Amino acid sequence: MTQHFRNAEKVHPAATLYATEEKAGKLDRREFLTRATALGVTAPAAYGLLGLSSPAKAEAHATSGGTLRMQMETKALKDPRLFDWSEMGNFARGWLEYLVEYNGDGSLRGMLLESWEANEDATEFTLNVRPGVTWNNGDAFTAEDVARNITGWCDSSVEGNSMAARMSSLIDADTGMAREGAITVVDDLTVKLTLNAPDITVIVGMADYPASIVHSSYAGGDPSVNPIGTGPYLPTQNDVGVKQILVKNTDHTWWGTEVYGGPYLDSIEYIDYGTDPSAFLAAAESGEIDATYQTTGDFVDIFDAIGFNKTEAITSATLAIRFNQLQEPFDNVEVRRAMQLAVDNSVILELGYNGLGTTAENHHVCPIHPEYAELAPLVVDPDGAAAAIAEAGHADTEFELISIDDAWQAASCDAVAAQIRDAGINIKRTVLPGSTFWNDWTKYPFSATEWNMRPLGVQVLALAYKSGVAWNETAFANAEFDALLARAMSIENAEARSEVMAEIETIMQNEGVLIQPYWRSLYRHTAAGVMGADMHPTFEHHHYKWWIEA
Amino acid sequence: MLRFLASRILTMILTALCLTFIVFFLTNLGPNLEKVAKSELGARITDAEVESWLTRNGYMQPVVLRYGEWLGVVPGFTHEADDGAVTGRCIDAETPAEVAPTFCGVLQGDWGYSTVFRRDVSEIVARGLGLTGKLMFWVMLVMVPGALLIGVLAGMREGSRTDRTLSTLSIVTTATPEYVSGVVFITVFASSAVGLKWLNGSATSAMDDITFANFTLPVLTIALYGMGYIARMTRASMTEVMTAQYIRTARLKGVSFPNIVMKHALRNALIAPFTVIMLQFPWLLNGVVIVETLFNYKGFGWTLVEAAGNNDIELLLGVSVVSVLVVLITQLISDIGYVYLNPRIRIS
Amino acid sequence: MDPLSWTGAAGAILNPLLAATTLAFVVSIVSMTVLSFFTPAHTLQSNPDGSLVQQGGIYGLSEIASKYTLFALLAVLVAYIVAGVVMPYGNAGILGAISKQFTPVWIALVITFALSITFKRRLGIYGKLFDNIVGMVGFGLVMFWVFTAVFVGVFDMIATHDPLSQLSGLKNKVPGVPVPGAEDMAPGSHYLLGGDNLARDVFSRMIHGSWIVIQIAPLATMFAFMVGITLGLPAGYFGGRFDTALSFLANLILAFPVILLFYLLVTPEMVETGIPTYMAAVLFIFPLVFFAVLLNSRYHTQPSIRTPLLVVVLGAVGWIYLSLISQPGTVFNFMPGALDLFDIPGGILVVFVSVVFVNSPTIYRIVRGLAMDIKTRDYVAAAQTRGEGSWYIMLWEILPNARGPLIVDFCLRIGYATILLGTLGFFGLGLPPESPDWGSTINAGRGLLSIYPHPALVPAIALLSMVLGLNLLADGLREESLKD
Repeated sequence: MTQHFRNAEKVHPAATLYATEEKAGKLDRREFLTRATALGVTAPAAYGLLGLSSPAKAEAHATSGGTLRMQMETKALKDPRLFDWSEMGNFARGWLEYLVEYNGDGSLRGMLLESWEANEDATEFTLNVRPGVTWNNGDAFTAEDVARNITGWCDSSVEGNSMAARMSSLIDADTGMAREGAITVVDDLTVKLTLNAPDITVIVGMADYPASIVHSSYAGGDPSVNPIGTGPYLPTQNDVGVKQILVKNTDHTWWGTEVYGGPYLDSIEYIDYGTDPSAFLAAAESGEIDATYQTTGDFVDIFDAIGFNKTEAITSATLAIRFNQLQEPFDNVEVRRAMQLAVDNSVILELGYNGLGTTAENHHVCPIHPEYAELAPLVVDPDGAAAAIAEAGHADTEFELISIDDAWQAASCDAVAAQIRDAGINIKRTVLPGSTFWNDWTKYPFSATEWNMRPLGVQVLALAYKSGVAWNETAFANAEFDALLARAMSIENAEARSEVMAEIETIMQNEGVLIQPYWRSLYRHTAAGVMGADMHPTFEHHHYKWWIEA
Repeated sequence: MLRFLASRILTMILTALCLTFIVFFLTNLGPNLEKVAKSELGARITDAEVESWLTRNGYMQPVVLRYGEWLGVVPGFTHEADDGAVTGRCIDAETPAEVAPTFCGVLQGDWGYSTVFRRDVSEIVARGLGLTGKLMFWVMLVMVPGALLIGVLAGMREGSRTDRTLSTLSIVTTATPEYVSGVVFITVFASSAVGLKWLNGSATSAMDDITFANFTLPVLTIALYGMGYIARMTRASMTEVMTAQYIRTARLKGVSFPNIVMKHALRNALIAPFTVIMLQFPWLLNGVVIVETLFNYKGFGWTLVEAAGNNDIELLLGVSVVSVLVVLITQLISDIGYVYLNPRIRIS
Repeated sequence: MDPLSWTGAAGAILNPLLAATTLAFVVSIVSMTVLSFFTPAHTLQSNPDGSLVQQGGIYGLSEIASKYTLFALLAVLVAYIVAGVVMPYGNAGILGAISKQFTPVWIALVITFALSITFKRRLGIYGKLFDNIVGMVGFGLVMFWVFTAVFVGVFDMIATHDPLSQLSGLKNKVPGVPVPGAEDMAPGSHYLLGGDNLARDVFSRMIHGSWIVIQIAPLATMFAFMVGITLGLPAGYFGGRFDTALSFLANLILAFPVILLFYLLVTPEMVETGIPTYMAAVLFIFPLVFFAVLLNSRYHTQPSIRTPLLVVVLGAVGWIYLSLISQPGTVFNFMPGALDLFDIPGGILVVFVSVVFVNSPTIYRIVRGLAMDIKTRDYVAAAQTRGEGSWYIMLWEILPNARGPLIVDFCLRIGYATILLGTLGFFGLGLPPESPDWGSTINAGRGLLSIYPHPALVPAIALLSMVLGLNLLADGLREESLKD
């Protein structure tokens, strides 16, 4: 393995600081790995800073060949920037790769970038393109390709481009395009990014599923029609809603074989079983699949029982049962606070998700983030809740809680509604099919949204609660919150940052932004013999690591 | 006979036109179109973007005009963008604007494009019909002989305890909807935790390769629900035949009971159930939808659910046309068959 | 507190008895079915002393055996129920406790049957039902659920817990699990049929579900009958263009796959457009028309009776009609809150309208056929020569004479409507998800069926028994009305 090691003095000073914090117990290890590698420190070097050696790789004795069948919703592909489902990215990942890769242990490692460095205040990033990478049509992969893709991500005029939010520090607020001089091609293998504010989330954002790197000939639409990419697989079948197949591309020399090893499997089949976990179970019992995409709630134990191996990813994935503050009656903060008072989050965790996670505290910052500041425990007071609702003049109002028809989400919302009802507040439940639910997801007065893990604590706050951002479903607009968040995004010291975070979390709680019952662990079950296909905290499929024991 | 056929076919076409227009109208209501735009562009677009996308793709024209386009009697919609690029209903990657035909509707053999599956509607419908055809073949193979046997056994001695038992059994199967029997079957035969684990609870693999394990439960679930009804019709027909003059004569002549049943009664008693079986076809569609959803078998019923759930307009229209035609054609066959088999009725 | 076993102390005696009688019954039924195919029918032979002897042979024997084993089996089952009612709570196990909860239903059933059988000769077709075993069993099953629904819906009896409240710790627990904190053995100290996926009482949900099913299914069927009759009678009686147009329309709706229709109608988008409300406004006006014509055709010669009668009846029905279609937040919102008797949530209204809509054309066709048949009868001709109006003849001559087949179809159709409601629940359309109605609970329990079957099986059995009861009832009614 030819890892690119750096000299000790070239390690980013903040990373050394993080290492000290980690050793002092102020920073947990996975967070340290994320932050240090985001600054350009390679994973082995990051482990080295902690005085540890990088975990041994299991691929050493991997066997080649075979087909892996995984249950997954097979969605129609579109322009990768517009991807709104991890599933889309996972199928396209066969041939469209990413600049960097976020790993299950919390570290980032270079894929199409060999390495990157940040300057001291994290306003300037130098990206070193991996040499020797070719597209599967024979073209060489260069810095131009990197720059072109990043420029594309910055185009916020494209309807539904979620990469623009992740690249906001490169975007000119007036034109909605990449800022003049923000992206410069230094030479064939080097790109320099100049940020308008310190932002350590830029590199992490490049690992997100909409950040697939596409060829210069790609002109929008379904990328599987003309699958030019750098990856080791090719799509041979793309039946939306039925089946998607990736087959190893034998006419293409994949750069990663030398660097990381793999790919081992001859083909990967994604088979669509809809959204009902009992269908996944029936498929597994019938021997139709080798792995689930995700196992949820009650089914975790059941899959264990039928002899599938469980892999777990501890995450900050969660369910946000949020109020829309523009909608009656949730424009009244007292109403929102009262709703929170009526709900005991630990009961929701038990009933809605089988206790497979930890309780959360209605502010969407997870204890696994260093930003996390511990606040006083939440108070549950059903009588007080009913009184507050009555005082706000809603004693006879019938509230409505909307959720998607997904098993654990619906169950959690049913449990929330039951608790609110127990407090003496009138509430009804509405469950919408997935196809309908997402039409208006940001506009429902009171509904539940699934949020996936973001590697950094501040990321989701910036994505979902900052005033006016595209995914702000709560319509939360608080200048003080915005200012504090901007400050937190530029503070590197965990302890200092957590003081700001304590204020942010308090604002979130006081404003009654959401009922956030729990952080859930993610599970995947695989049949005996399936290796390397562990659950990933952000659902990424690293196909080249997968293999089946012969 | 020819006049009868002609008028029936005319009614059929008129019915199909009316129904497709109703489906067209319902799927093209404002909120449904918004759903189409959002599934195309992503859930998070603004109302203005929805409007501009709908205008650009011709969804904002009057419904009647668009229905005409779908039929192929009105020229296909075209839109010229600011940069001069022409897009339109009949234009796609393979047929650029210059060579694209003016009309492209059902009459020209173009059933449109499925927005959910990203394929031609004809291709998706054909795939679904093929899979459902296999399912129905096996259902018929199980259901018809089973139902006839029960019906004949029950009907040959009206009022006997065998008759009572079998009739009650038939009532029980007609009172058990597919979603109940399917669920019970899966628990008993497919679950490894509380059941026997003899068969598969998922029929997805049957799409490629039918085996006893993966196809028994779906077939049984549909067949059972329809079986009771046909059995009761057969029983009614059998009891009628058994009281007929010629059977009485045969009995008086001393022909043994099994002989009477096998040689004299059976043939005549099976004429009536024929029409019933034909009329069963459309009724089975309900069961097909439930069973294909339950067992995750991606046939016609599953396609219907997906198309309806995602408001895939052209696919939904294709599905409706096919299912309406199935209903009407089976009605026609059963009418003709009934007339043909029963000389007492003549067509005026 | 200990969990309850299925049969408790009573089981020690009854369980072996049950096993023995069941075995005997199954053996006799199977042997009878097999034998029926090979042996001749039994014949009657008269003896010199005038008595008759049945010569059944071996088949006759098996028939008699099956009859007595069935009686024995039923006797054992009744013993379970009686033991449950008589023995103190908990001693007769889960079945006993359930049977005890149902005490009011048993009493009501016994009274109904006793009265009906005593006076059956004076009760017309209803009385004849009690000459027919199948019909009686069906009637018993249907009335069981009707009484259950009324007792729980109106008097809040029978159920042991609230159908929506969740008790922590009882998620997916097996039947007979004690409620945490309960001290003495009394109703409510156990989840009799276990807890569901959200720790709610399966038994109470099933009981409360019956009230929803008993309300929606027959009411929707009744509306469908009003629509079908109001349109079918003139179509059959007058014929002509009116008939042709209506029949085409009916066939149009019938050619539509039911599921597709539901998917098009019962979606949130469709509720948003207000189309269900328009449909409700049109469909629900038929009962109004029906009553108006019914009374007017009868009493139009006596204005002094007719006018006040019509004003009162139409006023009442009209008010209900207006409250029904006027809902806040829809296109029809014209009634002030004080006058609006009730509001039906959009989700339930659309389910209701759809069930009425898909059932009406079939009823229309039946009524039309019956009207065409009956209008050729002598008494219709007599009424015509008397100079009665067409509507009088249709509603007061033809309709009463068509009641037999219509009553039979009514029973079958309620069962069909119940199945349809369940189908909607199965696809997650219509009723709110936490509603305890049987279709939704089956759908909710389906996911974990292979591990915890009880939350889905209990409502499934309930639904099955009620639909079965309706079918048997219809079968019995049909047989009895054919005897006329």
